[in-house]
Amino acid sequence: MADLKENIAEHIESGRLKTDELILHMGPQHPSTHGVLRLELVLDGEIVVKVIPHLGYLHRCFEKHAEAMTYPQVIPYTDRLDYLASMNNNHGYVLAVERMLGIELPERVEYIRVIMAELQRIASHLVAVGTYGLDIGAFTPFLYLFRDREYILDIFEKTCGARLLYNYFWVGGLSHDVHTGFEKEVGDFVKYFRPTLTEVNTLLNYNKIFVQRTANVGVLPADVAISYGCSGPMLRGSGVDFDLRRDDPYSIYDRFDWKVIVGDGEVGTLGDCWDRNMVRMKEMAVSCDIIEQALASFPEGDVTTALPKRIRPPKGAEQYARVENPRGELGFYVVSDGTANPFRVKCRAPGFVNLSVIDEISQGHLISDLVAILGSIDIVLGEIDR
Amino acid sequence: MATVDKKYTLTFWEKIYIPELVKGMKLTLEQMLRKKDTRQYPEERWTPPPSFRGAPVLVLEENGVERCVACGLCSRVCPALAIDVQAAETADEKERYPARFEINMLRCIFCGFCEEVCPEEAIVMSNRYELAFTEYADAIFDKDALLTPVAELRPRLEYLRAHR
Repeated sequence: MADLKENIAEHIESGRLKTDELILHMGPQHPSTHGVLRLELVLDGEIVVKVIPHLGYLHRCFEKHAEAMTYPQVIPYTDRLDYLASMNNNHGYVLAVERMLGIELPERVEYIRVIMAELQRIASHLVAVGTYGLDIGAFTPFLYLFRDREYILDIFEKTCGARLLYNYFWVGGLSHDVHTGFEKEVGDFVKYFRPTLTEVNTLLNYNKIFVQRTANVGVLPADVAISYGCSGPMLRGSGVDFDLRRDDPYSIYDRFDWKVIVGDGEVGTLGDCWDRNMVRMKEMAVSCDIIEQALASFPEGDVTTALPKRIRPPKGAEQYARVENPRGELGFYVVSDGTANPFRVKCRAPGFVNLSVIDEISQGHLISDLVAILGSIDIVLGEIDR
Repeated sequence: MATVDKKYTLTFWEKIYIPELVKGMKLTLEQMLRKKDTRQYPEERWTPPPSFRGAPVLVLEENGVERCVACGLCSRVCPALAIDVQAAETADEKERYPARFEINMLRCIFCGFCEEVCPEEAIVMSNRYELAFTEYADAIFDKDALLTPVAELRPRLEYLRAHR
């Protein structure tokens, strides 16, 4: 591949081959843009010179809409931001409002929230890794991973009544307690799930074709990642040891013993697509650790005791709450004007920030590599366009 | 630029190829013998658990009167503004009843707030999940479409009492 590029470059330099830049639109109806994203590509032959993402095809006015809703009514809308990680979205928003109101949560609520958020992280990473394989051309792991995701969704469905858009975390607690047998089902799932990670590693992540397509592709150096504000697996894939669950502890994450996964450039350069994907794989195992520890000390109690009758934060109160979403730092900045509706809700979506780096890391790659890079960023257009 | 270091070299067993082939086939066979996770959907129906939030419906008591007293709370709490209630007075004990009750199922986001806020347990999320329409007008469920006998909704009502 390198030879080819050198050849092309040599031809162009010598003037034997006259080329012109070509503008090509990838998407919005393209399977590997993971939604309605349009990438304007400036191409030199097959080599990417510039990538300009065009957003807004899924814009639903979330922030403005939230101003017309009462505080609890915004929660179903946060579900629909990053629809693969609705639990984590709920978590970020309710944290912000709870801090404004100064609510102390019952122990059991915190435990259920952590377990749900970690299950959701596994489910989201399963989609990320599965569809990444699909982008590269590995169809089977996708089916295996989606099958395992179904088990998580089944648990969610029995608890919250919905498979995707849960509306489960409420300000001051949860909409209702978990179903009977929840602990056993989650425990069984974790036990079943761990071996499948090894299976996926042998099937997909250490597969020679997969490694060749992803190793050394789209290298994101740590300093670039930080200067662009990347977060989540994108940042950790570049070797930066930063995880909000540990570095800005919220809920009860500081009680558990777990480690932050950082990319190490195992098969290629540090910060390449393979590293980002591998961080997600390893994070699923870490999530399993957290869930097991949470289940071991799962307290009894009532989950609805702290639910406030009236949600009206004091006038002028403002709060920024951030949580570690499967895609990175998800922040909600909520400002109150003393009425039942928030004065302003600003959502800091990790996918939006992570996507901004695509131009920087895909320059000089082939178009087919661009698909691998875009897949490794793991975007969800619901939160990018909001 | 995308170049791959050729760190990985095939071992002797991998070079023979056949053992690797057998390994691959073993995995395939294992998967074939696994319990099936798919369902032959239109023939094999799925029964939702009682926690399932399907289409919202109105509870019809055994005496043929709806529970709803047309207080309008559901319509106020609905984030998607899907519910439209018009109250009227009745000689019954409950004094008020909904003369018109419409849920626009194209707007409904199945959040369950209407059910949570209802003081009479008159609107509940049923287990109906097959909601396909061919016309916009069909998507607006009026009282005829919404009223469901209480016997059908028993599991959900019991679940709500146990968990709320």
